[in-house]
Amino acid sequence: MSLKYGVLGLLTGEPLHGYEVKNRFEAMLGGTWEVNIGQIYTTLQRLERDGLVRPAGPRGDRCKQTYELLPEGRRALEQWLAEPDNGPQTLHEDIYVKLLLATRIANGDLQPLLARQKRAYLQRLRDLNRLEERARRDGRIDLARLVRGALLHTEADLKWIDELSSGRTTETETPR
Amino acid sequence: MSELVRLVDVTKVYQGGITGALNGVSLSVDRGEFTAIMGPSGSGKSTLLNLIAGLDRPTSGAVSVGGVDLNTLGEAGLARFRRDQVGFVFQFFYLLPNLTALENVLIPAQLKGSAASVRALELMRTLGIDDVADRFPARLSGGQQQRVAIARALINSPTLLLADEPTGALDTQSGEQVMELLGRLHRDGQTVLLVTHDAKLATRHAARVITVMDGKVVDDALLETVERAAPDVIRVRGEEAAR
Repeated sequence: MSLKYGVLGLLTGEPLHGYEVKNRFEAMLGGTWEVNIGQIYTTLQRLERDGLVRPAGPRGDRCKQTYELLPEGRRALEQWLAEPDNGPQTLHEDIYVKLLLATRIANGDLQPLLARQKRAYLQRLRDLNRLEERARRDGRIDLARLVRGALLHTEADLKWIDELSSGRTTETETPR
Repeated sequence: MSELVRLVDVTKVYQGGITGALNGVSLSVDRGEFTAIMGPSGSGKSTLLNLIAGLDRPTSGAVSVGGVDLNTLGEAGLARFRRDQVGFVFQFFYLLPNLTALENVLIPAQLKGSAASVRALELMRTLGIDDVADRFPARLSGGQQQRVAIARALINSPTLLLADEPTGALDTQSGEQVMELLGRLHRDGQTVLLVTHDAKLATRHAARVITVMDGKVVDDALLETVERAAPDVIRVRGEEAAR
C-alpha cells in the first residue's frame, strides 16, 4: 500500500494541510500505521509535482499550507481503488524463515518451535478479539474491519501451524 | 479458585479402534474458568467432554467433578449427577420435536421433580427467546433452537456447563450470539468447558485453551487478558515513500 493514495483519498473530502492529513490517516487506521510528518510533506510535494494536487490558497508556511485534489488526482485514486491487489503475497514475519532454518538445524524437529508459535498466535487471537470488541463498542468501524482481517489472517496462520504439527505437510526432504 | 474437575491418567479405548480414543489424559479445571478444548476431528476432544459429563465411562483412570469420583457412582447415581451437576449443549441441539420450546427447557427440571416454569421463563427472557416459548422446534431458527438448548442446559443451575461445538450448525451471526451468551454466563460465574475447532471464537471468551491431538493433551495454554492498544496488536505497513 502506498501512502500516496492514502493522502489522495483523504483530500477527496476537503483541502487539508500536512498535519491534518497525518492525523486523519492515522486515525482512520486506528494508529496501526504511524507516519512521520516529513513523509507527508514529501508525498504532498511529489503529488503536486505530478499534477495530482495543488496548493489551496497562497503559498506560505509549509505547516499551514493546505492542498486540494485535482481532477487528475481523483482519476489516479479511482483507478487505484478499482485495481485488485494482485502482486505477490507478502510474508514479512520471521516465523516463515525460522521454520525453514529450524528444519535444517534441529534435524527436522519443529515441535518446540511450533508449540511456542501456536501459543503466540492464540494470544494474538485473544488480543485481536478484545480489540475488535472495543472498536465496535466505540463505534470505530474502520478499525473493527481492519482487526477482523487480522483475526482471519491469524486464524489461517494457526491452521498452518496445526497442519505442520500434525505432520501432514512435513514430508522429509533432503536440505539443499 | 477451587478445583471443580479433575482427570487423572484417563484412558478411553473404543473397540475396533474407532477414533476419538484418549490416552492417559490428566488435567484439572477450576470453578469459574472458561476453558476451550481444541483439536482436529477424531482427536478425542468430544470423548473428553463426554467423560466429564458422565455420559461415558473411562477404560481406566479417574474423572472427578466437585470432589466426587464418577467411577464410584452406579448408573442411577451417574444419571443424577448428569441431571443436577451438568448442563450439556450439543452441536445439533437435540430438542424434542413434539414439545414446545418451554416444555423442552423444562424437561431436566421435571426429571428432578421441581416446578420450574418461572425460572424457565426467566432464563428464556435472558436468552431472548421468551417470545417463542410456545413454538415447536421446527418453527425456530437454528440460533433460537440452540438458545432453547442452552436454557434447557441451565434450568437445573448446573455446576458445569459443557458445550460441544455449539456453533457448528449455526451461521456466523447466530454462532457469535450463542458465544456471546456463553461469555455472559461465564462472567456471571458459570464454569464453561467448550469444545470447538474455531480458534477465533474460542479465544474471544476462553482464557485457557487445551489442545488435544491423537488422544493426548499436547498443549495447555493460559492466555493473558490485557487491553492492548491497537498499534501493539496490529501494524499496517506500506511502501515507505512514494516516488
